[in-house]
Amino acid sequence: MGSALTLLFVVCFNFFLFRIVPSDPLAHMLRGRNISREVQDNLRAAFGLDQPITTQFVYYLRETFRGNLGISFHSRQPVWDEIVERIPATVELLGVSWLFAAVIGTAGGVIAGWRRNTWKDRLITSSTMTLYSVPDFWLGIILLTVFSVVLGWFPIGGMQSVGVRLQGFEAFLDHLRHLFLPALTLSLAYMGEYTMVTRSSLVEVMSEDYLTVARAKGLRDKVVRNHHALPNALLPVVTLAALNLGFILSGAIAVESVFSWPGLGQATAEAIRGPDYPMLQGLFLLFSASVILFNLIADLLYMYLDPRVEAS
Amino acid sequence: MRRVVVFLSVLALALATLVPVASAQEGETTLVVGLTQNWETLNPTAGWLMSEWEMWILQYSALTTNDADMETVPDLAESWIASDDGLTWTYTLREGLTWSDGTPLTAEDVAWTINTSAEQEWMNHYEVTADLTATVIDERTVQITSAVPDPRLPDVGVLILPKHIWEPVATDGEEVTYYENLDGVGSGPYVLEEYRPSQTLTMRANPNWYGWEGREPGVDRIIFRQFGNMDALVAALKSGEIDFAASVPGSAIDDLEADPNIEVIVGFQAGWEQIGTNAGDGDGDVHPAMTDVNVRQAMAYAVDTQAIVEDLWYGTAREIHSINPSIDKRWTPEIPADLVFAYDPAKANQILDEAGYLDTDGDGVREMPGGGDPLHFRHVVNTNSDMGAAIGELFVGWMDAIGIEVELISLDSDQLGAVIAEGTYETYNWGWTPSLDPSSMLSVFICDEIGSFNDVNWCSEEYDALYEAQKVELDEATRLQQVHEATLILTEGAVYIGMVEVPEIQAYRADRWEGFLRQPAADGPVLFNFAGISYPNIRPVGAEGGPTTTAPGDTTTQPSGDTTGTTAPGQPEESGGGVSPAVIGGLAAVVVAAIAVVVSRRKSEDERE
Repeated sequence: MGSALTLLFVVCFNFFLFRIVPSDPLAHMLRGRNISREVQDNLRAAFGLDQPITTQFVYYLRETFRGNLGISFHSRQPVWDEIVERIPATVELLGVSWLFAAVIGTAGGVIAGWRRNTWKDRLITSSTMTLYSVPDFWLGIILLTVFSVVLGWFPIGGMQSVGVRLQGFEAFLDHLRHLFLPALTLSLAYMGEYTMVTRSSLVEVMSEDYLTVARAKGLRDKVVRNHHALPNALLPVVTLAALNLGFILSGAIAVESVFSWPGLGQATAEAIRGPDYPMLQGLFLLFSASVILFNLIADLLYMYLDPRVEAS
Repeated sequence: MRRVVVFLSVLALALATLVPVASAQEGETTLVVGLTQNWETLNPTAGWLMSEWEMWILQYSALTTNDADMETVPDLAESWIASDDGLTWTYTLREGLTWSDGTPLTAEDVAWTINTSAEQEWMNHYEVTADLTATVIDERTVQITSAVPDPRLPDVGVLILPKHIWEPVATDGEEVTYYENLDGVGSGPYVLEEYRPSQTLTMRANPNWYGWEGREPGVDRIIFRQFGNMDALVAALKSGEIDFAASVPGSAIDDLEADPNIEVIVGFQAGWEQIGTNAGDGDGDVHPAMTDVNVRQAMAYAVDTQAIVEDLWYGTAREIHSINPSIDKRWTPEIPADLVFAYDPAKANQILDEAGYLDTDGDGVREMPGGGDPLHFRHVVNTNSDMGAAIGELFVGWMDAIGIEVELISLDSDQLGAVIAEGTYETYNWGWTPSLDPSSMLSVFICDEIGSFNDVNWCSEEYDALYEAQKVELDEATRLQQVHEATLILTEGAVYIGMVEVPEIQAYRADRWEGFLRQPAADGPVLFNFAGISYPNIRPVGAEGGPTTTAPGDTTTQPSGDTTGTTAPGQPEESGGGVSPAVIGGLAAVVVAAIAVVVSRRKSEDERE
């Protein structure tokens, strides 16, 4: 219920957000063209720009609930079609990055937490925090420069090689080569989050009595860690991972631009120039909806995994 | 953890080394053109971006086109004759014209495009066809009549669309803009093959193009590839992933020129950037000093335009002293010495002193004559212009030197357009690129355009009269005189100051390709120019006249990394940094072995703990 209300708020908020700045989309569409006032008025009417803002809002609400996100000012095609076309690229990039960031980041956190205050802990903590602190697009540019420009190991952006016809496994390999650097950038950039959450959660669990009992039973260190400490320590990590999954659709505007990755992030950057109101509204609605949905899933998941939450 | 690290390292090295064997050649030549602009739509009745124009001029021909010297030359029409009153022109089409899908191209297509675009006001056609009526005489003859004397005729450069494709979608002026235009049916040298938004637009040679008669295309496929940023674009050109880079930043010129395989083109199409003023003939609350031409001229003297050229444009731009009414520079008049407001702050101060704008209260800012409002101006920084912020900062300093205080306001160009129409500003930065006929550029400054396209709120009856006269003047020498006079009146008004003609910087792999043509011939760009004259002429280096699909030497050489741009036969690619696959392979083996050793050692250590 709370989620539904939040979504409704987002739907309304989006509409006004993009209209705070006074800007005439028609001026952008017609830039430098000699067009009679009559045609300008027709175009304005076609896009509903001649109506008062309240009428536009009512119309927007009605159509959004019918599942009609409108026509893009730029491409003159339905916004939904434009968005759907971009989803696979973004889900692929962000999904792979999400997986690697979560797995490697958590593993790093386990080592750092279990071997607290050793050189391993310091190495892992400082390196992941450094990567987490640098802007992701900057990291992307560095990786692109080193691996694509200087070493020439990877292609300079895009999703596949152009000018060659590849099929089957070759096409797949070629695709992986293009995916590698942007996915690495995002994985490195977001690993730190998982490392720090895992580490602190593990450290907390380690002081619990039941772990002392486990050790007292003479269990091997590894067994204590994997079978006793981790199941409890990883609860917040699961929540974090579920929450972050919600951001998969939002794309990564800066990193997608650096690597010319044709996903929703780049579509957002293109729509901002203009501005393409219907496209921006559609994109932001999708982004918000996915975050809200995965918040809900995270809550439910937590309840399922941790009986204490349900009880309280 | 370690297993993951090992897996990732192996994956990375495998991906870097296991390059699929290129199967590109197959006897086809492909030119890859990189650009940073996206495509919003491919529909020529809806779009306006440079990237989109390039596709349209490749896919569609017009009745007439323009050569490197901007002269009107035959395109679909092979000849034309005028009626005695000069209002009606009869065009004869080439024999045997067909669309790329095999449908005959006739006078019917021409007449339909011209009449429908006039009736439905298609935004890219209407400016030319508004007053035209086309009549089909026979299959190869079409008669075009203008309701008013039109000095542009016989030049009719509007792109002719295939009636059999477009008639069903062009039900009205709005509906036609919704068509996606992915059909790939055209009459030009190349037609659309595949479109991936934000990625690539592929065009293949149209075998039915009249110009290919008796020869083979030098390039079979042209792929336009979009980059998310300019640095990647430049890097891709250097590594050979692409063959041509449009819109190279000025900062990359030295680097690219140092590469013997790359040719840099600094191309001008008469476009410029200016600091625009508000002369106060429109609405709004402009500072009264701005309505005085002396103040505007003084400001013009105080702007160090050469510094803009050198510091912001890396010396590639040119200082100019009047607008260019047309791409064709013969329409730009010689500017007499007294209208050349070259950098001279002392003179600027002198003009202001003499006109009575003095700093009476000693705060460093002049006041209106007789003591009144201080000269405090609002300058709008156009955030869509790369140079906007820098020019704004410099402008504050230049104005400070002549006792004018400037406040900076940042807006994007859409918002700036609204502010100009409202008249609530003193200066701003923006630019224009003129079209071929001078009328549309000149029309910007007429009184009727105040509140719309007139971006200086300046109005002169004398100028308007000259504009109206030249628009219908069929005698070219007289018209040239009128356009020059009008331009000089505008120049004297000093409504645009600090003007620089700005280049389109392009670069291509000269080790692979030749045959690029500038348009205008003297100093224009080679691609993304007015009529796309390069494309039919581009060929791999050494392929005289037509492409050779086999060349001496090893055409499948594929050093590390790169599977694209395997296009120029006989031109083995540069490898990224001279790292060969063998070296990488060896490196991979060493790294994997090292990791394996470390992993096994740590494992045993764990056991002991």
